Amino acid sequence: MITLIYRGIIALVLIFVVWHIFEEEKITHQANAALVIIPLVLRFLMIK
Amino acid sequence: MSIELIIFLAMIITFVSGCFILKLPVSISMVAAAIVGAFVGGYGFPLRHLVEGMFSYVDTVLVITTAMIFMKVIQDSGALDALSALIIKKFNKTPALLLCLIMLVIMFPGMITGSSTAAVLSAGSIMAPILMIMGIPALETACIIAMGGLLGMIAPPVNIPVMIIGGGIDIPYVGFEGPLAMLTFPLAFLFVLMFGYKYVKKFEYDLIKSKLNNAPMDKYGVKIFIPIFIALGLMVINKAFPTLPNLGMPLIFIIASIVGAFTGERISVTKVCKESIKSVLPVLGILMGVGMFIQIMTLTGVRGLIVTACISLPDALRYIAMAVTIPLFGAVSSYGSASVLGVPFLMAFLSGSQIVTASAISLIASLGDMMPPTALAGIFAAQVVGLDDYKPVLKKFILPSLIIIIWAILFIVFSDKIAPFIVFK
Repeated sequence: MITLIYRGIIALVLIFVVWHIFEEEKITHQANAALVIIPLVLRFLMIK
Repeated sequence: MSIELIIFLAMIITFVSGCFILKLPVSISMVAAAIVGAFVGGYGFPLRHLVEGMFSYVDTVLVITTAMIFMKVIQDSGALDALSALIIKKFNKTPALLLCLIMLVIMFPGMITGSSTAAVLSAGSIMAPILMIMGIPALETACIIAMGGLLGMIAPPVNIPVMIIGGGIDIPYVGFEGPLAMLTFPLAFLFVLMFGYKYVKKFEYDLIKSKLNNAPMDKYGVKIFIPIFIALGLMVINKAFPTLPNLGMPLIFIIASIVGAFTGERISVTKVCKESIKSVLPVLGILMGVGMFIQIMTLTGVRGLIVTACISLPDALRYIAMAVTIPLFGAVSSYGSASVLGVPFLMAFLSGSQIVTASAISLIASLGDMMPPTALAGIFAAQVVGLDDYKPVLKKFILPSLIIIIWAILFIVFSDKIAPFIVFK
């Protein structure tokens, strides 16, 4: 149950980080956000 | 010159060039330094190690993000304004106590999010006009706010530098509340009185009454504080009843945030989440970069070199080296400093209590946020009070910085003796 809730929290964070990438204009800031996305996606998919 | 030293120099040069010449974000510079380090070390582009490094701080990322969402919720719902107004109303006849409580309010966002910038920009900006109306000059107000930010970042329940240091030698973030509280709160009270007490001895409440935002408290009453009580309550329950399933800090903050959406002013969930993510992304990126940086340092043997160098220093020199290098490296990032130097120094002091020592090292690492050219806490605090230049704030900070370093070293020296009284697992 807790695992499912935490996957939900990760999904929430992930959605807003991706949203931020599309709204951000500076490429360095987009790259910064992309860095954060990688582990979140892997954790959400329970790959790692 | 050993190959490890060459790799380390290549990483540092890449990092510094990225930050100061190419003006890249700290996170991207750290990633670049990690890639260059791996390349110079003969590992090519070790993707697996880079991703592995990022995973060191995934839990921390969740704590910071959910904490910032919680912070925004209590700010937008009016709870932070209500708390400030309530404290000043109740304690205006005892200025010393009032100053200490104001300091706690300034520290609060830092305590929850683990970020000094969050404290300076949120509660700091709310309390700055109040401190100045009370008669404290702008410069001293900036010092109080910056100090609140720094010590708030280190105070429990969330301390990212100590999580980073602990992560380096696999110490779970358990039992740190006591040492962190003992390290930060006495200093916070000392500094706020040192900077502000002489100006508020004859403070008159009527002068600032109209400037306080009493509306949320009048409209919602004590109900507005329910999310704060829930967050604190769940944290205590988690500690007091180990048999209950551990909810974890992110879930506690999310539960408190959901409750906060219904106890005060109406808030837009989307707006709160978007703003929170936007404000924490630079810190999250730095953590990812730090993770990669450390992983490559470990892979190439650079970390071993630094650890060996720290451990082989004579005792007295070890303290001096720690007191000088950790704050200096903080000019780049206090998190980076905690990671690159905090971990080896903790290993150098392994004979003492690891929890107390790691907590004390994190206190020294916090000084990095006042180290130019980045000096995030100093720059933002100067901006909040309307000072054009942050250098006078830094000058005023020299004595408190020395006190912080001495206080931290005392904790390290006597860590074994004080640990039984302050470490509760």
